[in-house]
Amino acid sequence: MKIIGFNYLQKQHFLTLTIILILASALFSITALGFISIYRSLNNYLGEGENIITIYDRKSRTPFTGLVPTYLAERINSINGVLASSPEVVMPCIVKGKSIFLRGVVPDELYQLNPLTILEGETLQLNDTNSAMVGKSLSNELNLVPNDKIIVLGALSEQYIELEIKGIYESNTALDDEVIAPLYVGQWLRKTDYGHVTLIRVKIDRSKVSPSQIYETLVQEAETPTPSPSNETKPSPLQQMIPFSRATYTPENLGVKETQEFMKTYLDRYGMTRETLLILSAAVFIFATATIFASSHTLIRQHKPEITVLRSLGASAKTLKLDLVIKAIPLSVAASLAGMLIATVALLILQEVGQPQVLSHRVQFQPDLLLLALNTILVTLIVVLAIIRSTKRLDKD
Amino acid sequence: MILPLKALFRKGGTVPAILAIALLVAILASIASVVNHVNSQTENLSKLRGTGETFLLMSNNSTSMTNSKVSTQLIQILNENDDVKYILPQKIFTATMITASNNLTVLVTGVNTITFFQVRHTYVNGSFANGMQANVGEILARIASIHKGDRITITSEDKEVTLEIAGIIQTRAQSDTELIVPMNVINLLNQDNDKVSIIEFAVKSNRNEEISHLSELLPADVKIVATQQTQTLVQDLNNQTLYFLSLWSIPVYIVVVATAYIIATRLTIESSYELTMLKALGAKRTQTFELILIVTIIITSAGTILGISIGLTGAQIISIIIQWAWKGIEVAPFLEIQQTTQIILFASASSLLGCIYPAVKATRKTYAEVQL
Repeated sequence: MKIIGFNYLQKQHFLTLTIILILASALFSITALGFISIYRSLNNYLGEGENIITIYDRKSRTPFTGLVPTYLAERINSINGVLASSPEVVMPCIVKGKSIFLRGVVPDELYQLNPLTILEGETLQLNDTNSAMVGKSLSNELNLVPNDKIIVLGALSEQYIELEIKGIYESNTALDDEVIAPLYVGQWLRKTDYGHVTLIRVKIDRSKVSPSQIYETLVQEAETPTPSPSNETKPSPLQQMIPFSRATYTPENLGVKETQEFMKTYLDRYGMTRETLLILSAAVFIFATATIFASSHTLIRQHKPEITVLRSLGASAKTLKLDLVIKAIPLSVAASLAGMLIATVALLILQEVGQPQVLSHRVQFQPDLLLLALNTILVTLIVVLAIIRSTKRLDKD
Repeated sequence: MILPLKALFRKGGTVPAILAIALLVAILASIASVVNHVNSQTENLSKLRGTGETFLLMSNNSTSMTNSKVSTQLIQILNENDDVKYILPQKIFTATMITASNNLTVLVTGVNTITFFQVRHTYVNGSFANGMQANVGEILARIASIHKGDRITITSEDKEVTLEIAGIIQTRAQSDTELIVPMNVINLLNQDNDKVSIIEFAVKSNRNEEISHLSELLPADVKIVATQQTQTLVQDLNNQTLYFLSLWSIPVYIVVVATAYIIATRLTIESSYELTMLKALGAKRTQTFELILIVTIIITSAGTILGISIGLTGAQIISIIIQWAWKGIEVAPFLEIQQTTQIILFASASSLLGCIYPAVKATRKTYAEVQL
């Protein structure tokens, strides 16, 4: 490869192209990082890791509207290899004029799935009637402290509930944007009987039990006849507090999946996949490439006298093209990295101030290596194409 | 002015420049139109859900029901209204409940028990409280090991009453963790008999009209709170999406500024002959400046309008493909007039900002720098 030995490109003109590349790269990164982070936040909404699975209602159109028998949580807890089984009701509601999500839980079971750090006040227990705990981010936003009283208004049902804040917690998960209350509070908001919950999250020891074995247990359980009132066993600890009995169900309507897979199922159903979001982001970038082409063309036009002199001194068009491309590649790599860095910093600053939010939960931004590679490849490719095209046009002129 | 404009527009860079702006604006227009569709769908779904008919009257400055106080005279105002289905005044406060085995802090609600149990569709194990009796919510009864026929004492503000549990109730609402006591008993504990904590009421029809009419009749220190706030949820969720969209559009407009800069720079390079000729013919610096500004603004305005059309058409075409590929999914992207105006204004302002420097620079050029 021949590189022309002297520096005939003016720094000031090259800087313009660099700025354009940085901006285009930042635009792509903000779009892609934003979309992918929203996707990831929704995927991780109910928990991460292979050892957390979800039992859900397959007929439900959203993750929050299904109904699963409450008693199954206790039945699953008795399976060897199940470490915790958390029945949950997740419902949108309104507190202090803001839409939030309230999660009705059996606190001791939830704590085993999501360890919480209590920042202020005390830990919530199932028998803490008319009490709740608030996540750190939400408590900051709504200015809540322990012993404050809040009115929870139904968003999808007619309900009003007064709760006293017992504690403020931090989990470094989506729970930080929610209110945690005893299971029955969620059931009131969902307007369901005490015998049903939205979903059951289960923590398992993979070496002892698999999701398919849990599903088999659910199938067997459905086939077991309901004991007659005279033969009914002693109420479980949960039943001693919440009035529910064994509800019948069709096993085919129940799904057992890894929690992330469960959320992915719903997102896929609406065409929201990681691939489609990346394609959408790439489309945004491609739309911005006309600017890169215009900028590259301007750069070549600005160096028309120098290029003409070099051509008259015997430099071939191919040599010139190659030289310009070689000089532009490090620039485009550096510009794409700078753009990505600017985008990441801007998004992290936004995250610090609690924005943006999707479904009343803050989006957690994380740098993505695939995105970085895609960004660098796209920017470099476009610059190379633009320079080749512009030099060709200059030759024609 | 027309002749120099014509000369500048004849340059080969005009069409690519319009296209560069158009594609950027198309990104904004298409995404905004799809977001509008999603938001309108959410609003439509919320309308299907219904908005509820139950409301609360509370004191304006209260943050909870227990610290709210409203006059019982308001009951009369509600009573005079034919569209009010039922009225349920409630006195809600925290008290200590003493049972045979427990001392617990509980929420006590004083009500007209007959109305209360009718509107709550209550299941009762026993009977509804009357006289010196109380009903206890089923969950509270289980936690405190209270049974029908038990005697409990409630203490509040140094006063106490002993009551018999007439029945255990289940309402699938907060009453399941409360003690429900007839209002006349509560008045023994709480002397302020002209005030209640909240007044729950329901309307029969014309919800919005009725509520706005009622709010005119109420004193300023009282507020009406809907117990189902679907609309607030939908607006909040839609605003979150729109906020994200506004934040995201900032880098797009920054790229528009940069593009306008490139367009103006390219224009000055490619039109150096014409600009030099104009100067030689006596054109002032301001005239050259205005000329470049006008050309850039015309190019970006044309690009913006074209971009909105491309964006909307593109979104429509993709929607048709989606509808064809995934049966049952209907997407109808649209742009509000104010959004269209906003995009045109912001894109024009960004373009203006981007072309100022190249325009100023072009006016400073001397003959020596220009190749003729």
